[in-house]
Amino acid sequence: MKNLTKKQKIIMSIVAIIIIAGIAVVAFMGFNFDLRFQTAQKLELYLGEDFKIADIQNITKEIMPNEQVIVQKVEVYGDSVSIIAKEITEEQKQKIIEKVNEKYELELKAEETEIVTVPNTKGRDLINPYIWPFAIATGITLVYMAIRYRKLNIVNVILKTMLTLVIAEATLISLIAITRIPIGRLTIPMVITVYMLTFVGLTTKFEKELEAQKEE
Amino acid sequence: MKKVKILTITLAIILITAIAFGGIYVQKQNRMENVVEDYKYAMDLEGTRTVRLEVDTGTTTVVKDSEGKEVKDTENLTEEQMTEKGYTKEEVPNNSEDVKNEENYKKAKEILEKRLQKMGVNNYTIKLDTQAGDIVVEIPEDDSTDTVVSQLVTVGKFTIQDSETGEVLMDNNDIKLASAISGADNTSTSAVAKTRIYLNIEFTKDGAKKLEDISNRYLKIEETKEDTENAENTETTETDENGEEKTEKKVTIKIDDTEIMTTNFEEPMRTGKMQLSMGGASSDQKTLQGYAAQASSIAVVLDTGNLPVKYQATENSYVLSDVTNQELSIVVYALLAVVVVALIVLIVRYKKLGALATISYIGLISVFLILIRYANVVISIEGIFAIAIVLVLNYIFVNKLLSKLKEEKLTKTTANKGIAETYKEFFIRIIPVCILAIVFCFINWSPISSFGMVMFWGITLIAIYNAIITNILLKIEADK
Repeated sequence: MKNLTKKQKIIMSIVAIIIIAGIAVVAFMGFNFDLRFQTAQKLELYLGEDFKIADIQNITKEIMPNEQVIVQKVEVYGDSVSIIAKEITEEQKQKIIEKVNEKYELELKAEETEIVTVPNTKGRDLINPYIWPFAIATGITLVYMAIRYRKLNIVNVILKTMLTLVIAEATLISLIAITRIPIGRLTIPMVITVYMLTFVGLTTKFEKELEAQKEE
Repeated sequence: MKKVKILTITLAIILITAIAFGGIYVQKQNRMENVVEDYKYAMDLEGTRTVRLEVDTGTTTVVKDSEGKEVKDTENLTEEQMTEKGYTKEEVPNNSEDVKNEENYKKAKEILEKRLQKMGVNNYTIKLDTQAGDIVVEIPEDDSTDTVVSQLVTVGKFTIQDSETGEVLMDNNDIKLASAISGADNTSTSAVAKTRIYLNIEFTKDGAKKLEDISNRYLKIEETKEDTENAENTETTETDENGEEKTEKKVTIKIDDTEIMTTNFEEPMRTGKMQLSMGGASSDQKTLQGYAAQASSIAVVLDTGNLPVKYQATENSYVLSDVTNQELSIVVYALLAVVVVALIVLIVRYKKLGALATISYIGLISVFLILIRYANVVISIEGIFAIAIVLVLNYIFVNKLLSKLKEEKLTKTTANKGIAETYKEFFIRIIPVCILAIVFCFINWSPISSFGMVMFWGITLIAIYNAIITNILLKIEADK
């Protein structure tokens, strides 16, 4: 910490606080998973004709105003609809079917329509496919950096790179946990972006150091 | 002359842009059809085949004899005949209570995951309800989806039994690995039918010993004239040198209680490997491919072990992505809006050079969008992200180049120098990004490979396109 500037010290303190807060949030509350990865309930209705997703979304918004709902077309002809929500009560089901019947002049019966439970996706199932690709890419990059910046002390370069990468990703994950941004389809692209930015930042820094060393 | 050159390049870029965003329409059977290749989308943008597997709660009627042994082939017997023989009917649950537990459900999920991986499914989600045991599998929709789905509900119970007594001689625990192989068929004369498809089963050390023992016990007795005449019979008899009658016994190979074949062995099997012919002789190429697909499917099921719980598919439907075309369009327009603003900044900052770089930049976007369609890149959400990153990288490249050229008077020499320096600085800094892109290209997981492929083609294009188009535009301007 001796050689750090005041600005760097402030940044590091903020990062440390974010990571600690993130760990605490994950420990006590866990991550906030997107609805498509949570245990949810599904209702499937056969409309028999093409429809607009927005129309069904309006119906679900009216009946389940404060809930996140996923509306999807089912089958190649898109004439069935799947409605997924955290919880769908029998009363809500009844109302949705009534509204759909009204809108599309159908005679769907609530008692013939079943609400099915959709199990959750485990967090580790989401990240498993990414572990090896990232590990391989990181390994190769570290070898490259060790060779390219060998004049800057190999151990120092590898340690700095590893540490920066871990801190950057930990900060991102902590921020996701603290802000309760749902873990979903955009999480991995965010992780990749931080990963790339970290490496580009590091190579820029090391290149400058290398140039400075050459000039000396 | 220079103006004409710039104008020609600009017109060419406008043409490519029109193709990239609008397409090329030709008349086909009284309607206009876009002949430009369409984008290929991954499961998150296209839709998924959703299969719901529920624990089988049904029962199977089993006929048992007076000793409690199961009796087969009783379909033709009347109730009276059954009573006469002392047979009784019993309802046996397809899944006994002791198999319905969390441990088995988790094991079933692992097995399904292995099956999907072995069948080359490049993106899937498996959701398990640990209480009820229900599993929801989401896989991409393509030509192989139905085959994949059929393998999900197959239990994969493998047995080699005595054809007479039904005694189980070998089962899944004896299998080390299974694969589909093709081999020469010497009995055939047709060119196509020279290939025969085999299901190759390799047994464990203990399994190999068992196989050797079984092959000795169930050895084929050399056919005599009498035997040939009675070839239809499953049992053949022969008198040995002591005058005692030896009975030829056969084994039945079953998968999921369905008989694959009843046979005996030509010679003792000491290699611990067994090849079961799936077909080939007198077959055309299409039939042969069918045999190969069938053998591969069985091999996958045997190789991954049998499901501890029997499942039945209660839902098998194609669910379209919840990311609609409208939402995708919003993302594209938002991206384009950012690009437009960034390019305006470029023009304001670097004037004429900025305008030339803008023309070049628009050309790169268009070529890039055509390239990823013809390079067979499957676009996922990660892929869209990669497109945005490529656009940002090219902007950084162009900005870096222009800022270098702005420092000195633009001549051919300064342009060459500026371009060379920018290339060196830019690509050295993004080598880790290039490594990531190349590694991701080789991963058999569509969101990852999508990102990798888009990045790979994008970075390659930045390198080649700017060396040609941007370079030419700047040199024309330098000539002025």
